[in-house]
Amino acid sequence: MIPNPNIPEVSIPSVIQNIPLQHYLILSTLLFVIGIIGVLTRRNAIIIFMSVELMLNAANLLLIAFSSYRSDPSGQVFVFFIMAVAAAEVAVGLAIIVMIYRNTRNTDIGFLNKLKW
Amino acid sequence: MYPIVLLSFFGIVTLFLGFSKSKNILLPATLLFLIIALAGNFLEWNKGPLLYFYDMLRVDNVTLAFNGIILLSAFMIFAISGGFQDNPDSEPAEYFGLMLFSLVGALMMVGFQHLIMLFIGVEILSVAMYVLTGSNKRNLRSNEAALKYFLMGAFATGFMLFGITLLYGATGSFKLEQIQGFASNMQVGSESYILYAGLLLLLIGMLFKVSAAPFHFWTPDVYEGAPTIFTTFMSTVVKTAGFAALFRLLSGSFTGVYGFWWIVIAAIAVLTLLVGNIGATSQNSFKRMLAYSGISHAGYLLIALTALSKPSQNAIIFYSLAYSLSTICAFGVLMLVSKEKTIGGQPNEYYDAFNGLAKQNPLLAFVLTVSMLSLAGIPLTAGFWGKFFIFTSAAERGIIWITVIAVLMSTVGIYYYFRVIISSYLKEGDLVKIRVAPFYKVILVLATFLTILFGLAPGIFEGLI
Amino acid sequence: MNSTVSFFYFLSFLTILSAVMVVVSRNPIHSVLYLILAFFTLSGHYILLNAQFLAAVNIIVYAGAIMVLFLFVIMFLNMKQDNEEAKTNIAKIAATIVGGTVFVILFGAYRKSAIPAFNPENFDSQVGMIENLGHILFREYLLPFELASILLLVAMVGAVMLGKREIGERHF
Repeated sequence: MIPNPNIPEVSIPSVIQNIPLQHYLILSTLLFVIGIIGVLTRRNAIIIFMSVELMLNAANLLLIAFSSYRSDPSGQVFVFFIMAVAAAEVAVGLAIIVMIYRNTRNTDIGFLNKLKW
Repeated sequence: MYPIVLLSFFGIVTLFLGFSKSKNILLPATLLFLIIALAGNFLEWNKGPLLYFYDMLRVDNVTLAFNGIILLSAFMIFAISGGFQDNPDSEPAEYFGLMLFSLVGALMMVGFQHLIMLFIGVEILSVAMYVLTGSNKRNLRSNEAALKYFLMGAFATGFMLFGITLLYGATGSFKLEQIQGFASNMQVGSESYILYAGLLLLLIGMLFKVSAAPFHFWTPDVYEGAPTIFTTFMSTVVKTAGFAALFRLLSGSFTGVYGFWWIVIAAIAVLTLLVGNIGATSQNSFKRMLAYSGISHAGYLLIALTALSKPSQNAIIFYSLAYSLSTICAFGVLMLVSKEKTIGGQPNEYYDAFNGLAKQNPLLAFVLTVSMLSLAGIPLTAGFWGKFFIFTSAAERGIIWITVIAVLMSTVGIYYYFRVIISSYLKEGDLVKIRVAPFYKVILVLATFLTILFGLAPGIFEGLI
Repeated sequence: MNSTVSFFYFLSFLTILSAVMVVVSRNPIHSVLYLILAFFTLSGHYILLNAQFLAAVNIIVYAGAIMVLFLFVIMFLNMKQDNEEAKTNIAKIAATIVGGTVFVILFGAYRKSAIPAFNPENFDSQVGMIENLGHILFREYLLPFELASILLLVAMVGAVMLGKREIGERHF
């Protein structure tokens, strides 16, 4: 086979050769579960939201792992969209939190108990 | 395809119209935009399945029918909003712009053929709804509803994404067709459990959005806290889009593993029916009752999903239409009445606000009665046929027990839907004659007329699809 | 064991540790800083997986924009660490049980299904490069790419509408 002169010959990354995909699955599932536990145990809206970010990043990591192991770029393109969505959600979420803070001076979600949680 | 492009463009135009001094132009302009989008939608009628942009979007008659329901509901809701003229704090251009954009998201969910379209569509719709829920900025209840909706929605997004990721891992593709190919060819004994796990997580995310039990807990608070006009939008457009997306997902990709998911959906449907109907009986607020009623209607629609056949597809479309029409009427009357009767400056949304409605406002009472009868599923209304089609499609598939439970639960529904009818006809009240704008009246009468028309002759609709 | 493999385990450990610290820290600012650390370790993972472009974007977008926004809001609102009343222990234990169950179910699913390993014959190490991704993004994914701009517009309009000061309100 004649090597393509335009593309530098890069060998298969050693992680992909040595680490089974299972490990990435477990790592990202752990991150995902930590995110879930964070959402369920904390009361501070900002920390809950950061836990959601952890869940999204677990999905990002897994998508990139699948896409690299399979040489299929569409998984990595999906990650772009997740980042765009995360940015949009953060903007709106923090605006909501700032709006509530203006009215109550507190960001604890249990604080306003007019509506039951 | 046309309505997506048109609405994106019109949304931007609407935002610019907000710069003009006179705010009166906004409402007619957006209504015109919606009519154009509706016309554009039906240009593709009967053109057969069309695929756009490397199979991202599929347009067939089912898509167009759902689009039509969504756009029609949006048209009615825009019309009864009255351009937000009565509230000096409101920002009508932004509200209309956000609603038009959220319709783009809804239409993406209806026609998606690739999971990225589902994801982006759900997000556009949800982000716009978070903002609109909190649009009553000085009201703490509205603020808190927005925060709650936002946090729960983002949490659900996390589940959805992880589900999509696992599906990608199992099948190597985001395309419905390829997932279908993989799922149908799994051998017994070497099934991909990752596919099952991914499907479950994706379903959890979607069921959150359509507020099925046990993922419904945010619904009553959010529906109650949001301004009523946006609650109407949520309970019609968002729900229709959510079920269209669920139907497309399950019918487009997972018919091969029907044996795995139908029991999950069936169990959730039964639970949703129980929670929705029993929860609704104990409410004193009409608005909160409608939130629970929305949950219970999600349960009926889930039954149609478990059947997943050609008749059940038509049943979902018919039911969504009937439910949307009646819900718009119910919220429309609620908005008028609650504005008239206030407690402590806030609109009174309890049942007793309706006391004596029929004496001075016979038309409103009639509209409310028809919509309640339709939601309860009484014969001669569209709601009856909606339920009938769903139950027969489930029975044809051989799922009898679930139909029995659903029929029992719909008799429970009669109790709480009739409470407001009794209030408005039999109880004494001091409600004066409410002034209703002529256009508002036209929309309410039109929705009521359609409800009765489809109730008398459901065949009109049958022949269309 | 070669050095990349041990580096993978080290990075994974650091990722999990910082994720746990995000959730358990009492002070929101510490949470943000741990989350930034988690994003850096994740970018390390992306580089190991030969997804260089996303590794850079991850730092720029997440650590650079999103987390700065978080930090900005936390400092803006002057959040104190003692503001938050803790949930009851029962709620915490229940939450942990829910999380553990999700993990066990998913783990069981992974154990029971065959995961295809990578295929050395048609392996393409250029997948994660910007040129390759750009081709896909602007051809197959053109429609969602354009519509994502609607999402960003919605977020922008929404954030301005909710966040801006009304007449008569105090600044902060």
